[in-house]
Amino acid sequence: MANTKRYWSGLDELRETEAFKTIQGKEFPEAQSVDEFLTDERLESTHTGRRDFLKFMGFGLTAATLAACETPVIKSIPYTNKPEEVTPGVANHYASTYYDGHDFVNVLVKTREGRPIFVKSNTETGYGRVNARVNASVLSLYDEARLDGPRIGGEPSDWAKVDSVVSNVMQGEGRKVLLTNTVLSPSALRSIKQSGLEHIQYDAIDYGAFRASAEADFGVNSFPSYRLEEAETVVTIGADFLGSFADNVIYGERWAAMRKPEAGKMSRVHAFETNMSLTGSNADYRTMVKPSEQGRVATALLAQLSGQGSAGQLSDEATKAVVAAAKDLKRAGSKGLVMAGSNDLAMQQVVNAINAALGAVGSTVFYDTMTLFQGSSASLKQLTTDMKAGAVEVLVIADCNPVYDAPNASAFAEALEAMKHTVCTSMFADETAAICKVNAPTHHWLESWNDLQIEGDRIDLVQPTISPLHSTRMWAESLLRWSGKNQDWYTYLRSTHASDYTSDAMYTNADWNKAVHNGFIGVEVEPSQQVSFTGVGTAQAVSELNGRKGGAVEMALYQKTTMGAGQHAANPMLQETPDPLTKVTWDNYVTMAHSDVDAMGLNGFIGQEKPASLVKVTVGGSSMELPVFPMPGQTPGTIGIALGYGRGANGENIGKAAFQTGENGSFETNTDGNPVPVGQNVFPWANESGTFTDYAQYDVTVEATGGTYPLACTQIQNTFMGRESIVKETDFTSYFAERGAEKGKASWNELITLAVHEDVSGDGTIDAQDAKPTSAFDLWHEHPVEEVGHRWGMTIDLTTCTGCSACVTACHIENNVPVVGKDEVRRHRDMHWMRIDRFFASDYSLERGEEEGTSVIASYRKMEDPSANPQTVHMPMMCQHCNHAPCETVCPVAATTHSNEGLNQMTYNRCIGTRYCANNCPYKVRRFNWFNYPGYKKFANFNPAQDSLMRMVLNPDVTVRSRGVMEKCSMCVQRIQSGKLDAKKAGTPVPDGSVVTACAEACPTHAISFGDLNDKSAGVRAISENNRAYHALEEIGVKPNIFYMTKVRNVEPNKA
Amino acid sequence: MQREAAIREPLILGDKSYKDITDDVVGPIQGSAPIGWKIMITISSIIAVYGVGCILYLLGTGIGVWGLNKTVGWAWDITNFVWWVGIGHAGTLISAVLLLFRQKWRMAINRSAEAMTIFAVIMAAIFPGIHMGRIWVSYWVLPLPNQFGSLWVNFNSPLLWDVFAISTYFSVSLVFWYIGLIPDFATIRDRMTKPFAKKAYGLLSFGWSGRAKHWNRFEEVSLVLAGIATPLVFSVHSIVSMDFATSVIPGWHTTIFPPYFVSGAVFSGFAMVQTLLLIMRKGMKLESYIHVKHVEYMNIVIIVTGSIVGVAYLTELFISWYSGVEYESYAFINRFSGPYSWAYWIMMTCNVISPQLFWFKKIRRSLVATFALSIVVNIGMWFERYVIIVTSIHRDYDPSSWGEFHPTNIDIGVFVGTLGIFFTLFLGFARFFPVLALNELKTILKSSGENYKKAQDNH
Repeated sequence: MANTKRYWSGLDELRETEAFKTIQGKEFPEAQSVDEFLTDERLESTHTGRRDFLKFMGFGLTAATLAACETPVIKSIPYTNKPEEVTPGVANHYASTYYDGHDFVNVLVKTREGRPIFVKSNTETGYGRVNARVNASVLSLYDEARLDGPRIGGEPSDWAKVDSVVSNVMQGEGRKVLLTNTVLSPSALRSIKQSGLEHIQYDAIDYGAFRASAEADFGVNSFPSYRLEEAETVVTIGADFLGSFADNVIYGERWAAMRKPEAGKMSRVHAFETNMSLTGSNADYRTMVKPSEQGRVATALLAQLSGQGSAGQLSDEATKAVVAAAKDLKRAGSKGLVMAGSNDLAMQQVVNAINAALGAVGSTVFYDTMTLFQGSSASLKQLTTDMKAGAVEVLVIADCNPVYDAPNASAFAEALEAMKHTVCTSMFADETAAICKVNAPTHHWLESWNDLQIEGDRIDLVQPTISPLHSTRMWAESLLRWSGKNQDWYTYLRSTHASDYTSDAMYTNADWNKAVHNGFIGVEVEPSQQVSFTGVGTAQAVSELNGRKGGAVEMALYQKTTMGAGQHAANPMLQETPDPLTKVTWDNYVTMAHSDVDAMGLNGFIGQEKPASLVKVTVGGSSMELPVFPMPGQTPGTIGIALGYGRGANGENIGKAAFQTGENGSFETNTDGNPVPVGQNVFPWANESGTFTDYAQYDVTVEATGGTYPLACTQIQNTFMGRESIVKETDFTSYFAERGAEKGKASWNELITLAVHEDVSGDGTIDAQDAKPTSAFDLWHEHPVEEVGHRWGMTIDLTTCTGCSACVTACHIENNVPVVGKDEVRRHRDMHWMRIDRFFASDYSLERGEEEGTSVIASYRKMEDPSANPQTVHMPMMCQHCNHAPCETVCPVAATTHSNEGLNQMTYNRCIGTRYCANNCPYKVRRFNWFNYPGYKKFANFNPAQDSLMRMVLNPDVTVRSRGVMEKCSMCVQRIQSGKLDAKKAGTPVPDGSVVTACAEACPTHAISFGDLNDKSAGVRAISENNRAYHALEEIGVKPNIFYMTKVRNVEPNKA
Repeated sequence: MQREAAIREPLILGDKSYKDITDDVVGPIQGSAPIGWKIMITISSIIAVYGVGCILYLLGTGIGVWGLNKTVGWAWDITNFVWWVGIGHAGTLISAVLLLFRQKWRMAINRSAEAMTIFAVIMAAIFPGIHMGRIWVSYWVLPLPNQFGSLWVNFNSPLLWDVFAISTYFSVSLVFWYIGLIPDFATIRDRMTKPFAKKAYGLLSFGWSGRAKHWNRFEEVSLVLAGIATPLVFSVHSIVSMDFATSVIPGWHTTIFPPYFVSGAVFSGFAMVQTLLLIMRKGMKLESYIHVKHVEYMNIVIIVTGSIVGVAYLTELFISWYSGVEYESYAFINRFSGPYSWAYWIMMTCNVISPQLFWFKKIRRSLVATFALSIVVNIGMWFERYVIIVTSIHRDYDPSSWGEFHPTNIDIGVFVGTLGIFFTLFLGFARFFPVLALNELKTILKSSGENYKKAQDNH
C-alpha cells in the first residue's frame, strides 16, 4: 500500500497561499546581496570595526588554543540504575571457595564497584586460611592472556560451532576420556557421569601412595587428616606441612594452636629433611638426611618405638636425632604424630605402622572422608599408552595442564598432538590447550558457580563475584551441552542439591541464600568409621626402605610456597614474593650445601653484581643448566630444585609475567624466537620408577659449567650478626621457669638499659651498674599518646610466625605495591612494604671468638656465615610507626609526619624525594619510587598498573604512587579510616577487631595482631603488655608502635 | 706603604713595573685565544655536554638510572655534592680569612680561587637538585608563602639548613668576588679598543673611575664582606656535616663531624687550587706572580688541614671502640675491613699519608710533586665522602637490609659531566676575566716585588 500520508510545515503550506508560493524553495525569505549588507548604514552604529573583529578573532583563537591544552578528562560513567547491593566506595564481601587441584580454602572475596579485588580467609565458618597463592590468585582473573572465547584449531570460533563439533565426535564410536585433576564438585561429578565420558584423574603433585597405603593398612581409600592441633610431638620426614605439603592451608593454623607458650602448650617438632623447607626452618630440631636415608629414618623410628623391623644404616648424627625423636614420641604417645612427605608406598606404610604403634590413628591422624588427591599417575600413564596406540578417540582435558605437569609429559604431548579429537577447557592457551584441537575455555573461579566437597559434613560453595569477563563457560556445563543436556550450570548445580529445584525458587529459597551467604551447605554424614591397622606390608616395606641406595648426589624436588605447582606462573605478585628461605624472586635454582658449593668451586655468595654459578644437572640422561643457590641447611651431597617454573617453554601465551624481561623491559627470546620462561621446568625429573610419582632422585650428576646467571635476592645477609636487640629468642624450659616475670625482667627479655654518668644505684660510685632504661632518655618533648584517642599498634609473635609470606602478598595487593621485576629486585629495589626477614643462626659469636682468641674483625666475618644446619628466625618487618621517628625530623618539607593516633604518615603529594628519611630509618622499611612504575617501559610487561585489564585489581582506596616519592607501610590507614567511619555511623567506639590490617588478616597462624593500644579491652594491648613483648632495636629510643614477641623454641636449654 | 723584611722571599718575581702587571693580566684577554686553550675548552665542553645529557636522562627517567637502592639512598650524588662544596671552601678562606689576617700572598691567587669557589658551589648545587625524586617541586624547600594550605618547611631538617647555608654562601661569595673584579674590569675597559668589548667591560665595571673615594669604598666593602664570609667558611660545611651528624645511623651520628668536615673542606679546596693554578700559571705565563713561595704556603695549609683530618679519622676509630656501642664499633670495623675497605684505604692513603710528604721541603717546593699530590688529595677527599656515606648505610642496624651499591654509567656520567662543566666555566673565566687581582697586586709591588727588594738592598 502506497503511503498517502503528507506532512506540512505550516498552515500556509497546507492552504498553498500566495505568500508561501513566493518563498517556496528559497533559503532566505528575503534576498540580500553582500554589497547591500556591507553598505547598510546601520552597521556603522554597531562599533565592531575591522580592528575589533581581529581582536575578537585573536582572542577566540587564543582561547580555543588554551582550551585545547587542558588535561584530558577521563569520564567515569555513573550507574543509570544503581544495583541494589553496590554503593560506590563501599566494598562488598562474598563467601566463596578457592580450589585449584591442590589448595582448598573458604574465602571471602572483596569487591568494589563490582570488581573482585581481594581474597581473604572466611574466618567465621571457613576451612583453611589463605596462603600466598590463594591470596594473589585474584590477579589471574584479570590476566590479559586469558582466552576470550572458544577456539577451533587455534582460530577464534563461537560456542554454537564448538558445541556442534564436539557433540558430533562425542556421539561417534570409540573410547572417550575426560582427564582432570581431582574433582571435588558433586555437580561436576554428576555431569561427568551423565556425559558418559570415562573419567581419569591425576594430580599435578601426586599423593597416590598416601591413599594406597591407607587402603593397604586400614582398608580405607582416604587421604589422612592430620590433627596438628592435638599433636604434642610431631616428627616430619620430608613433609613440608607449613609450606607446600598437601592440605597446607589448614596445617599452619592447627600447628600454631599447639605453640602457645603462655598457655603452657608447646608442641615439639622434629624434622628430618633434605632441603631446608619452611617446616624445617620452624622445627625445634632439624636433621639433614638424604632422600635415600629418609626411609631409614622411618624404619629406625619404628624399630625404636615398637621393636618392629630393623633399623637400617644411618649416620651417627641421624641416629641420635632419631633416638631423641623417638623419646619425645613415646612421651607423647597417642598425642604424637609422624608424617612423611615422600610419595612412596613403602615409606607411607612404615609411617602408618609408627602412627599405629603410637596410637595416633584416631587421635592425631584420621582416615575418614578427606576427598583431596584422588589422582592416579598410573592411570595417566596407561592413558598415554592407550593414546599412543590409538585406542582413545576423544580426549577432553578439563581444569588441568598435563602437558606441563604430568609425570611423562613429553610422551603425553606427543600422543595428544597425534590425536584427532582433543578438547581443552583451560582458561589460557597454555601448554595443553595450545596443542588441543578445540579450546572451550572455562570460567575463572571468581566468575563461576561451583560446589566442592572436601570433608564429609559439608559442601562448600563457589559463587561468582563478577560477570564472566570473556566468552567463557564453566567446563562442566560444556560437558552437559556436549552430551545433549541443554541445561545451564547454575540450574544443574541447584538441582544436584535439591531435586525439586525450579528456577522460580531462585530468589525465594531461604536455605540456599543462607548457604550462599555462609559459603557452605551442611550435609548429613555417617560417623567416620573406626579404622584398624592391619600392617600386612610393613615388614616388606621396612626391608625395601633399608635397602635403598643413593648415588653421590641425590636430588629432592620441592614446591615453593610462592609458586606451588606452577598454576600461578603468570602472577607477577607471586613471582616477586621472595621465597621464604632463599629470599630469591623470579627464578628457580639448584639449592646446594655450602660445603658442596665450595668443593665445586662455585660462587658462595650471591649479591647484586655477584651472579650465581651455573651447573649442569643430569638426571637419567636429560640435563639442564641451572644456577646454584648456596643454601644453609641443605644436606651435603644433595640438591633441591623447585617445581612449578619454566611455564610456557614453547612461547605459549599464558600471561606476560611468566616470561623473562631484559633491562629495557622487552622479553628475552631464545634461539627459536620464543620468549624465555622464568625458571626451568623440572617436572620431567620426577621419579617414575615406582607406581607412584615420587619427587626424589637417588642418583644425579652435577657438573660446574663455568657460566654465571644473576639471581635476584631481597636479602643477601643471612645472619643477624648477634644483634640480640633485633631478635630475641629463648627455649621453652627457660621461658616456663620465668613465665610469670614482670615485663622487662625475665632473662630472655630484659629491658635494654644505657649507662649514665650519675649514681643511679646509689652505691657512691659511678660505674657500669649505673644505667637507666632507654625510656628514661628523650630528645623530644613528650606528647601524651597513652590513653588519648586511638593509638594503633601491632604485635607480632615470632614463635608462631612461620615465614609463609601470606602477609607479604596480602599487603602487596591491598596497598597497590608496585611490581618491579627481577632486574630491579636484583638491584635491591624491591618495593614490598612488608618483608619477612629470615635470619639463620651462625656457629660463631663474639663470645666464642673471645674464647678462641680470634680477633673481633675475624669473628665478625665468621658471623656472616650461617651454620651448616642453622636454626632459623622469620621476622616480619614493616614500618614500626615509631613515636619518635627518625624519618620525620629529617624531611625538609614535612612530607612524613606523625598522626595523633600513633601512625607515621606519608604524604605522597608533599614528598620531593630526597630519600633522607629512608637513609635515616634504622629498620630500612622505606621504599622509593625509582621510576614511574605505572608508566615506564621497563615495567610494561609485568606491572599490573600498566595492564589495561589487570589494573582493575588495584585497590581504589589506595593511591597508585608516581615516580620520585617515598612510600611505606601505612598500617592500612584506609582500613582504619573506614573502621572509624563505620563506628561513627553506628555511634559507638571502634570495636576491637573491627579494623584489621591486611597482613594480620592474612596470617594463617594469627601471629600478627592489630588494634588500638589505648583500648583497654583490645587483644593487642594485652599482648603488648605480655612479658615476651619487646621493641626491635629498643636502644635507639625511637619508641615503635610495633611489638615483637620473643621467639620460644621447644628445645633443650643447652641447645638454645 | 708597608715595608717588608728583605729576607722574605719576594711575592712578585722579575723586573715588573705597574704597566707590566697590567700587560701580563690584560694581555691574554686582548689577544686571540691560544691553541692550548681551544683544545682544552673543546674537550671540557664535550664532557660538559655529555654530563648535561646524563642529567637530562636522569630527570626524564627517574632516580633509578643511578645505582641507588632501598638500603643505600645516597651515594655518588651526595658524595659529589659534599666534595664540590668542600672544594669551594679554599676560595673563601683565601679571600676572606687571609684578607683579615693581611696575608699579602693571597693577592696572587684569590681571584682564581674565588672563581673556583663560585663554580664549585654551582656544581655542588646541581646535586641536591637532581637527586630529588621530583625536582619540579624542589621550590618547596624554600619557606615561601603558598596556597597549599598551612604547609611550611620543616625547620628540624638539616637538609633545610643546607638550603639556607648553601644559598647564603653562594650569594656572599659571588658578591665578594664581583666587588673585587670591578677595578680590574675598569682597567680592562680602559685598554680595550674594540667597541663591543669596551662596552661590555664598561658595563661590568659599573662606572669605576679609580677615584680615591671609590678605592676607599672598595676597601671598606671588601672588609665587611670578608667579615661576613669568614663565619661562612666554618658554618657551611658544619651544616653540611649535620646532614649526617644529626641522623641515627652509626658512622654518621658523630659529634666530631663539623670541625672535621671544615678542615677536610679546606684541605681539598687548597688541593684543587693547586691543581688549577699550576696549570694556569704555566699556560698564561704567570710564573712571576704565582711561584714556588705561593705553592709552598698552600702546601703548608694542606699539611695542617690534612693532619687535622687524619687525627679526626683516628679519633672516630677510637671513639667507636671506646663507646662500646655494638653498632657503632661494627660500622667502623666494617669500614676498614668490610666490602668497601678498598675505598677506606684509598682515603687513608690519599688523605693521611700523602700530605705528610710535604714535611720535606724539597717536595713542598716541587711544582711537579705538588701537582701530583694535589690530585691525590682530591681523589682521597672524594673517597672520604664516599666512605662516610656509602659504607655507613650499606650495613646499618638491621642486617637483613644490608646491601651493596654499584654505580651505573649515569652515576659516572653525571659526576664527570660536572667536572666538564666546571672546567668549561673556569676556562671561560681564564679567557675573559682578569685572572689576577691586578690592582691589588700593584699595591704590594713596591714592598714585595723582587726588583724593588733588590733596589732596597742596594740602597
